[in-house]
Amino acid sequence: MNPLYERLPWLLMARRNVSRTPVRSVLAALGIVIGVLAIASLGVFGTTLQYSVTQSLGSIGNDVTVSPATDQGVQYLTDRDVRDVQRAVGTDTVVPVKQGRGTVVYGRQRTLSPLYGIDRPGEIFTAADGRIPTPLRSGVLVGSSVADSLGVHAGNSITVDGKTYRVKAVLEQQSGISALSPNGALVVPPAAVNQTGYSEVVVQASSARTANQSAMAIKSRLNRRQKRVTVFEFSSITKQISNVFDVVNYFLVGVGSISLIVAGVSILNVMLMSAVERRQEIGVLRAVGYQKRDVLFVMLTEAVLLGVGGGLVGVLLSAGAGLVINQIVLGQPLFTFSTANLTYFAAAFAFAFVTSLLSGFYPAWKAANRDPVVALRS
Amino acid sequence: MSEMAVIETHRLTRSYRSGPETVHALVDVDFHVDRGEFVSVVGPSGSGKTTLLNLLGLLDRPTTGDLYVEGEDATDLDDRERTRARKRFIGFVFQQFFLIPTLTAQENVEVPRLLDRDPSTPRRAADLLTQFGLGNRLDHRPDELSGGQKQRVAIARSLVNDPQLVLADEPTGNLDRKTSRRILEEFQRICEEGVAVVAVTHDELVEEYVDRTVELVDGELSR
Repeated sequence: MNPLYERLPWLLMARRNVSRTPVRSVLAALGIVIGVLAIASLGVFGTTLQYSVTQSLGSIGNDVTVSPATDQGVQYLTDRDVRDVQRAVGTDTVVPVKQGRGTVVYGRQRTLSPLYGIDRPGEIFTAADGRIPTPLRSGVLVGSSVADSLGVHAGNSITVDGKTYRVKAVLEQQSGISALSPNGALVVPPAAVNQTGYSEVVVQASSARTANQSAMAIKSRLNRRQKRVTVFEFSSITKQISNVFDVVNYFLVGVGSISLIVAGVSILNVMLMSAVERRQEIGVLRAVGYQKRDVLFVMLTEAVLLGVGGGLVGVLLSAGAGLVINQIVLGQPLFTFSTANLTYFAAAFAFAFVTSLLSGFYPAWKAANRDPVVALRS
Repeated sequence: MSEMAVIETHRLTRSYRSGPETVHALVDVDFHVDRGEFVSVVGPSGSGKTTLLNLLGLLDRPTTGDLYVEGEDATDLDDRERTRARKRFIGFVFQQFFLIPTLTAQENVEVPRLLDRDPSTPRRAADLLTQFGLGNRLDHRPDELSGGQKQRVAIARSLVNDPQLVLADEPTGNLDRKTSRRILEEFQRICEEGVAVVAVTHDELVEEYVDRTVELVDGELSR
């Protein structure tokens, strides 16, 4: 005899019984396959969606903006505030920004555009055309959509609030959310913006976690005696977005679970029928010395075989589906085997196992507890 | 109590409640079987033969009276203990054979010991089948065997645990005369090896082979 069956002798009987009515067993297992497929592939799809959105958010979670606490009557941030911020955050990039509006004239076109007065814009922006000088003293940088609408290139001259500047660079288009979106704006030397102090300070940390530490440090340093600044962490947005996705994922997986429960009912049905059909056989087992517990084991093993078989096929199919989804959405088929997805596969399989165990229990219990005298009566 | 008795009953009574009435299937039966004895129980349908067999086989519990297995009181054993005693002590042979259709002849013989994880069981099952002339049918499924072959597999199955007592319910009921003789000869052979056999039967042929026949009429032992 096969060594596996020597270890688990009731497995032999259970397996033969499953193959006794192959169509019925396959149909019952098919229910489990569909349930597992639903849970695992919806879960994988959710992770894929979450991943692709998080990716398009980019490193926004690393940004912290510090703005004057207007509710406390603070109208602007001083040079001293900026120095304090720099001391609080250590090595993070600190970019003080003056914000204003200005009339931009290029050729015959004129438009009203936001102005960012930034001394060292190279630390947070990249040029698509031209070069960003550090520090920015005389020229201007043009946001991509302004450049498009005006038709400006690096090297052209434009007029901002009556003063003529040379365009040093056209900035790269920024996608997604960012603390300071340059697309529709002009970056000018700080002196060009008619404002006292700074309207905000952008802090870029190396990760969302250090951004959080920086935010805490800024708050404790600048707001120690009285509230001078409000600090906004962009990671709170990404956190909210990922919370939303978690909820969506749970919902999808919950919907999938319903199909697995339905599959459990079909196993219950198959096992009940099988217990009725094999009434006398089970009576014989009891007569020849099988305890109730032994009969229970044989029957439960049968149900679990259906669940495990269906679960394995389901996991394989959903891995295949995951490869396809991730190839199409992300172009990275191997993302299917990320930790989050493996958790979904494992959870779906475990759910299939538990479902089959639970739905096998009642028929098995019933078969085990039937009086052998009644069972053997022909 | 007889020294030799493998199983013995004392004023064994089994009543069923059927609606408002009480049906007495067995009334005050004193019965015993000695080691190696071949006993047949005859009687018309409904006379309580199967009830007696179920009680002797520890499948059912008497309403009143006592039952001794190898001299030990087995009347009040609980389900678990009776199951254990059946396994150790009793083999069953049924009219409809009741082989498990998905298992081979040899696996069917192994069934009572399958959960013991005893590596010698397959060998023993094969030996038993060979003794019953089925050495070349070990891997056949029940549907590939004739009625007589199935019953021989069933007898082999009843012997795999080395029982003291084999209980047979109409063992020849589904077999033709020639095959019946063969089966009854097998039972005789078992008895010569010291195993007691109790056969409940309508078949008069059985009487040619048994040591003793008892008759049940309306639940009472009459001979």
